[in-house]
Amino acid sequence: MAGKAKQLIDSIIAQRSKGNPSVAKVVKAKFILKGINPDDFGATSADDPAVIGQLQALAKELGVTV
Amino acid sequence: MKTAYSIKTTPEEVSKDIQSQLGPSEPKAVVFFASCAFAPEAISREMQSAFPGVSVFGCTTAGEIISGKMLKRSVVAMAFDDKSLEQISLSLIEDITSKTAVEDALGVFEKQYGCAMMDFDQEAYVGLILVDGLCKCEEKLIDRIGDLTNVLFIGGSAGDDLQFKQTYVFANGKAYPNAALLALLKPRAGFKTIKTQSFKVLDQQLVATRVNEANREVLEFNGKNAAAAYAESVGVAVEDAPKHFISNPVGLLVDGEPYVRSPQQIKADGMVFYCNMKEKMRLSILETTDIVSDTRDVISATKARMGNIGAIINFNCILRTLELEDKGLADAYGNLFTDIPTIGFSTYGEQCVGHVNQTATMLVLKACA
Repeated sequence: MAGKAKQLIDSIIAQRSKGNPSVAKVVKAKFILKGINPDDFGATSADDPAVIGQLQALAKELGVTV
Repeated sequence: MKTAYSIKTTPEEVSKDIQSQLGPSEPKAVVFFASCAFAPEAISREMQSAFPGVSVFGCTTAGEIISGKMLKRSVVAMAFDDKSLEQISLSLIEDITSKTAVEDALGVFEKQYGCAMMDFDQEAYVGLILVDGLCKCEEKLIDRIGDLTNVLFIGGSAGDDLQFKQTYVFANGKAYPNAALLALLKPRAGFKTIKTQSFKVLDQQLVATRVNEANREVLEFNGKNAAAAYAESVGVAVEDAPKHFISNPVGLLVDGEPYVRSPQQIKADGMVFYCNMKEKMRLSILETTDIVSDTRDVISATKARMGNIGAIINFNCILRTLELEDKGLADAYGNLFTDIPTIGFSTYGEQCVGHVNQTATMLVLKACA
């Protein structure tokens, strides 16, 4: 399987920003400051269970459901 | 908004001096930044006494900023009137190590406004944060705030005139160590926030491969001893690396914009920073540029976007202040704010989305019609 990390990242950013580009930019910065760079993940990135777990925890911190 | 400063020598004289400059009308709130030359408890008490019934808050500094000047051993203050500010609320975190510190602090705003933090309009509200500058936990604090709200909180870490013994935040006429103060503002005429740092991003990159996050230590970059890898990237011997700490910090890039992490010292073979780093973080070596011209440009651009600027609160890193002083540019920096009601201070860290170093974060309030 591949691309799940990108799906999760996109979903978290979309839910938090509700389409507001300024908020989306801040959420992306928060990802990077938390140690996950969204630009490192694409549709073909392998699904690393550690990264997926990290993103699920991050979603919880940000109060969104994935 | 009115600003004032005092270089009188006692808290009593200072508070009277500032009261007379900010009067006679009663402000809605007063924010002040004070040198540790004044006993923290006394200056907080006297400033609150000078403005009874008013929200008076602030912190200690490593140098103060007022329109046109960078000061030492002074107190600077800004009064918000009803015309400039629709609402302001304060929430004090008395123990920043408490696990529920941020939730409890934001809960105060939720209760006061009857609105969940996630539902506040981030275009209408902005937050200020003043935090103990020696706590080493600003990262957790600002990160958790950003988890719980889309309202942007910006601010700075309190200083103590480079003594590195104890810093304080001021509220309720008291001085609190190990604390943070959050202020939620609803300006009437709008606002912008600025995060500015004066660096060129170089090609050399370092990946933090072993860290002690709690102590803000990087033990290894690129799988090598951190100090050796940093020195190699900067192109100097390890023993000469500290001479490059101010001119060549590292930056975590977000869409090309650096979130600066400044080295503090080499410890064993690792490096201690003024900001934490997580494993696998990819950092770029930065090279200092012109703080005065970069800041002038960002203020001009902000003015062009907003129309008239009514006031600025400037949280300017102490390392920037030291660099400006070293280059004889402190007056030139102060002069950038001559025509704008401005207060600020030299900080031990800056906050904007995250905790950063060698940066100025500013709240810019639009002038009221």
